[in-house]
Amino acid sequence: MIMEQYSILGRIGEGAHGIVFKAKHVQTGETVALKKVALRKLEDGIPNQALREIKALQEIEDNQHVVKLKDVFPHGTGFVLVFNFMLSDLSEVIRNHQRHLTPAQVKGYMVMLLKGVAFLHQNNIMHRDLKPANLLISSSGHLKIADFGLARLFSHEGRRLYSHQVATRWYRAPELLYGARRYDQGVDLWAVGCIFGELLNSSPLFPGENDIEQLCCVLRVLGTPTVDSWPEMLELPDYNKITFKENPAIPLEEIVPDTPPQGIHLLYRFLVYPSSQRCSASEALLHPYFFSCPLPAHHSELPIPHRGGRPPHQHPQAPPPDFSVNLSLQSSVVAPVLLKPHALLLPS
Amino acid sequence: MRHQQGSALRKYRATSSLLLGGEQHTARFNYFYTTLITLIVQGFPCGKIHKATLGLCCGFSSRKSEAAMYHNSSQRKYWIFKSEAELEQKRCSANEAFRKKVIESGKAGMYESMFLKRNEEDVLFRHYERRLLDFCSAFKPPMPKSVVGTAIMYFRRFYLNNSVMEHHPRIIMLTCAYLACKVDEFNVSSTQFVGNLLHETPAGQERVLQQILEYELLLIQQLSFHLVVHNPYRPLEGLLIDLKTRYPALENPESLRKSADDFLTQAVMTDAGLLCSPSQIALTAILNSALRAGLSMESYLTECLGLKDDKDSLSKIFDLMRRTKSLLKKYELPKAEEVNVYKQKLERIHAEFSSSSNKRKKGYEDDGHVAKEARLEEEWTDEDLL
Repeated sequence: MIMEQYSILGRIGEGAHGIVFKAKHVQTGETVALKKVALRKLEDGIPNQALREIKALQEIEDNQHVVKLKDVFPHGTGFVLVFNFMLSDLSEVIRNHQRHLTPAQVKGYMVMLLKGVAFLHQNNIMHRDLKPANLLISSSGHLKIADFGLARLFSHEGRRLYSHQVATRWYRAPELLYGARRYDQGVDLWAVGCIFGELLNSSPLFPGENDIEQLCCVLRVLGTPTVDSWPEMLELPDYNKITFKENPAIPLEEIVPDTPPQGIHLLYRFLVYPSSQRCSASEALLHPYFFSCPLPAHHSELPIPHRGGRPPHQHPQAPPPDFSVNLSLQSSVVAPVLLKPHALLLPS
Repeated sequence: MRHQQGSALRKYRATSSLLLGGEQHTARFNYFYTTLITLIVQGFPCGKIHKATLGLCCGFSSRKSEAAMYHNSSQRKYWIFKSEAELEQKRCSANEAFRKKVIESGKAGMYESMFLKRNEEDVLFRHYERRLLDFCSAFKPPMPKSVVGTAIMYFRRFYLNNSVMEHHPRIIMLTCAYLACKVDEFNVSSTQFVGNLLHETPAGQERVLQQILEYELLLIQQLSFHLVVHNPYRPLEGLLIDLKTRYPALENPESLRKSADDFLTQAVMTDAGLLCSPSQIALTAILNSALRAGLSMESYLTECLGLKDDKDSLSKIFDLMRRTKSLLKKYELPKAEEVNVYKQKLERIHAEFSSSSNKRKKGYEDDGHVAKEARLEEEWTDEDLL
């Protein structure tokens, strides 16, 4: 039994389709997260969400900013997905951080998020449920996109209709709120914009209490859409069902105060009504925002809160390795002066 | 008024997207791009692929993907085999493993001649595969080709390592179709799915559904949780588009479609999908279709795919064509009388062995349920199914 290779250390939480445990691989000592998918008494058998997760993660290569599905194996009445164990997630970072994140930290998280999203989109995967709680934070401060329960391979069938009941409400793109059944990776880019705003403000940008109010929240900030600003709106299923009082847009400067103009500019690039106008992740990574002072924080400069916000126990694990391919040149090159004393120790 | 405007706009957009390369086109170009990459991966020299073509594809897919999905796929990594001999060897091992297991279990009443021989198994396999295809073709709402292709591929992969004597193909085939629908996001409810078993009463359909759900886990396990199947249908679309854009020598590429489609339908029922990449199969389908129409496509390979000076790759393609075509030629529908004889054998094996073959039920703790199922299995005969 493969399950015996792991010893369960505790419960992390309840995912969309099962309980998640923290466990240790006995042989290697590696800490992992086990997501148990139980199948008993399910009307439709293996849940679609579990299938999507396996499907999406099994067909892509490793990426630093996407969780890795290490293994899948049958267990009892269902099966178990094995992931790297992650200390925390971005929603906890936002929630538990006393002060606002520094501008450099916000940039650091955004760069990692965008790299992950760009990778997924290059692999034809729409995540469809990006939100801070699905962005896990590793012990080395790395952000990794997780929870592919809603992910779909896009461009797989050009004419297929998708469900609009995707994405957690606060991060749901306006076309989804209007019931769109045909959409694209722009829904992820909208969510990226929402997460960006939330990082800047330490509170959600559009915290709608229900679907209608969600639309109100968006419309209040972006202004009521017009045929000019959003021609595709006319074709959306629920367009005629709801009408809102017309109101002008509020400048984003007022929504996310104390944000430099370049940040505001980038936020505008994500939060636009027509999905086709949203800035792609790979394009966003080249935005001047990320190349101006303060530069994006290195992952070791990012806060690493612990699950449940408790202070960390004594770390049984080795400290995180300091090596990263993302390390800036300055910090990875050692000044020759510093090496000089050590050179004396070398045999001549 | 607004409604009229909307529908006019939709029409306009539909037309313009076809002309200008809207979403639909972008998707196609992606696939085409994937096809090209696949060709490269499969041994076509990289430098020889027309640069303009790559540029064209990249341009079209600025926001969509440039990734070669097949390249990273579990299909390419785990489910493409070297030769027919290797496949046959795997199936023989599965047959032997089952015999061994029964004999070792010391079950009284089982003797050598009761087992199905490999060739007999194969007859039954093809019989049930055909029925799976018929079931999918008659499915309502109409099942997309890719779902059918995926279902049949699951069925082939499953019986590569399992004997029909161990797990009855009539339930495995339905489980394959059911899982393929879910994986390919062809959303039908479970009730809707078994509603397609037209000769079953609602109660019978419910029973079949319970069986499908019980076998689903076994199936996904036997597929090693590799769920994505790359079918040759989209590479075929890509090649047709390429012919239209870059190969004026061919007057009407669309005329190749019908025969190429038929070729792919036949190819699904062979081991082609376990031996060749989807784009290779699609290319063979096109070349074969051209051959039958008396059209020469050689200059497409030499000029458009840039293989003029690459005798190696050219001979590889021709070799591949020959192999795939011989696979198709070899295929024959099993004879009814043969099927009947072996089916009786199979039913007997399952009757003798069913009580101890409840491996799949191991996980299901609800004892009452398992007991009920064992009884039902006998009631439910093959002929009720379709």
